[in-house]
Amino acid sequence: MTVETAAGSRLGARDLTLSYEERTVVEGLDLDVPDGEVTVIVGPNACGKSTLLRALGRLLRPARGAVLLDGEELARIPTRRVAQSLGLLPQTPVAPEAITVADLVARGRQPHQRWWRQWSEEDERAVAEAMARTDVAALADRPVDELSGGQRQRVWIAMALAQDTDLLLLDEPTTYLDISHQVEVLDLCRRLNQERGRTVVAVLHDLNQAARYADHLVAMKAGRIVARGRPADVVTAELVREVFGLESVVVADPVTGGPLVVPGRPWGAA
Amino acid sequence: MSAIPQATTAPLARTAARPAGYALVRAGRGSFLVHRRGAAVAAGLVLLLAAACLTYLCVGKTCTAPGEALKVLFGQPSAEEFTVGTARLPRMTVGLLAGAAFGVAGALIQTVARNPLASPDVIGVSQGASALTVGAMTFGVTSYAALPYVSVAGGLLAAALVYAFAWRGGLQATRFVLIGIGFAVALRSVTHLFLTKGDYLVAQQAKVWMTGSLNARGWDEAAPLAWTLLLLAPFVCWAARAQRTVSMDDDTATALGVRLGRVRVGLALLGVVLASVATGAAGPVDFVALLAPQIARRMTRTAQIPLLCSALVGSVLVVVADLLARKLFEPTELPVGVLTAAVGAPYLIWLIARGRTGGKA
Repeated sequence: MTVETAAGSRLGARDLTLSYEERTVVEGLDLDVPDGEVTVIVGPNACGKSTLLRALGRLLRPARGAVLLDGEELARIPTRRVAQSLGLLPQTPVAPEAITVADLVARGRQPHQRWWRQWSEEDERAVAEAMARTDVAALADRPVDELSGGQRQRVWIAMALAQDTDLLLLDEPTTYLDISHQVEVLDLCRRLNQERGRTVVAVLHDLNQAARYADHLVAMKAGRIVARGRPADVVTAELVREVFGLESVVVADPVTGGPLVVPGRPWGAA
Repeated sequence: MSAIPQATTAPLARTAARPAGYALVRAGRGSFLVHRRGAAVAAGLVLLLAAACLTYLCVGKTCTAPGEALKVLFGQPSAEEFTVGTARLPRMTVGLLAGAAFGVAGALIQTVARNPLASPDVIGVSQGASALTVGAMTFGVTSYAALPYVSVAGGLLAAALVYAFAWRGGLQATRFVLIGIGFAVALRSVTHLFLTKGDYLVAQQAKVWMTGSLNARGWDEAAPLAWTLLLLAPFVCWAARAQRTVSMDDDTATALGVRLGRVRVGLALLGVVLASVATGAAGPVDFVALLAPQIARRMTRTAQIPLLCSALVGSVLVVVADLLARKLFEPTELPVGVLTAAVGAPYLIWLIARGRTGGKA
């Protein structure tokens, strides 16, 4: 493959077509994930956003086209090497029974370990940092299945962080969380990006959260990208109508000044 | 983007980064994580196994003083040479090794299927090994040295069939187990078919073998079993580590750089071969592979099934069961499989009845 991603983008897709058996979910999609930014993919249910994320994380093989990592076709890179630069947190990860928090987080070190080198200084540092950053250090010895939903999600993120990758993909990290935990998780993603310069790609359900936390917003509909760019430029009433089929008013977010989508239309303006 | 806050670049508090309960063992450039409780349990099990073995060697139709038994073990001249060294020791060795192999086999297959029900004696592997072995016996293969290979072929064949039928572009644990149980029943019928077709005397011999009897097992069975297990030992060491990653869900494991398909096939294959080899040497000693890993896991409280402890529990189970089988209804000797089934069958029923809810180890 001689195709390359755009400058300033290690991860991207070229002419990507994704399908489950006969059903094509994503077709002919091109994408460049900007390095060091938070990219959020949004779209209605079944628009292919999670499917796209899975393909970016080599959990799904493209039917046509390719996902590129550092100019190489992802499917051709040994999965262990991929895991050293690209981390991914699936939508509903399952922990082994009775595993403790620290044990689970430590498993994020898997791609850096060998049979004869099961624990290094580097592992120690990465795990300690991941747990401190996600504020789960105090839970270290607790079994994961005894934690609340919010705590558990933080533990999973800690595991993905311990993997210590420049690129981090998150599939709907806020699902099943109440609003305060949603904000907590998203703030954490934001901080990771700002403090460590990590490239984050997340699929989010909530358009307003996406607009608030994204540097780069990708709006999908029916397996295609409809719009991409800075939320301030992209999020408009027209886009919301086109992508979600919803009438809305876009106002300035009173907290950030960014776009805020308020569903519905002004009373009387039939 | 805002400036980097200073606080986060400062050294972070070193709080329990290494998973609690693990000790770090360094050896040269290598470093290994050893589960403390697991190591303690293993040490305890070794002692228990040693005690069981010594009792096994001393108790029988005639009783031997432990001192005499130890003399025989260490190759010193003793009056009990024949009773201990020739009659009891090889038979015990077969039980010990087969038990360990069953334990590890069960642990591996339960791990791959992520289901405590999936053990080689439930999903048809042992039954496949039995069917082919009994088939071979009825067609004139009666050499105990050749039977292990026949068994391995049978076990692999059964596993391949179950795998082929369970495969739907991926492997789903529940379907795998259910199809396995189906094949187990079918293969048992095949075995009975061979038994009724076969010569009466051969059928008698095969029947005893089928319930898992260590009666009259000697060095001829122990040696090939020991060699095979020794050969497989490096793979078991690999499995002990690889097992960790398979216990996560598929997506997470793949994201962590695990070649899931290969690791799974490798672990399952190893489990099938171990179970078949043990079946070939000792007969299908039922339920040891099902029980041992779960007992071991409850003892060590590890997140995955501990292989070494499963092996030890398997050995203890078979040695103790065979001791009881010899002694309980003296002078009649029971096949050891009858005793392991007496313990294992209620457990299997309990496991199914309990369902998998609240299935915490």
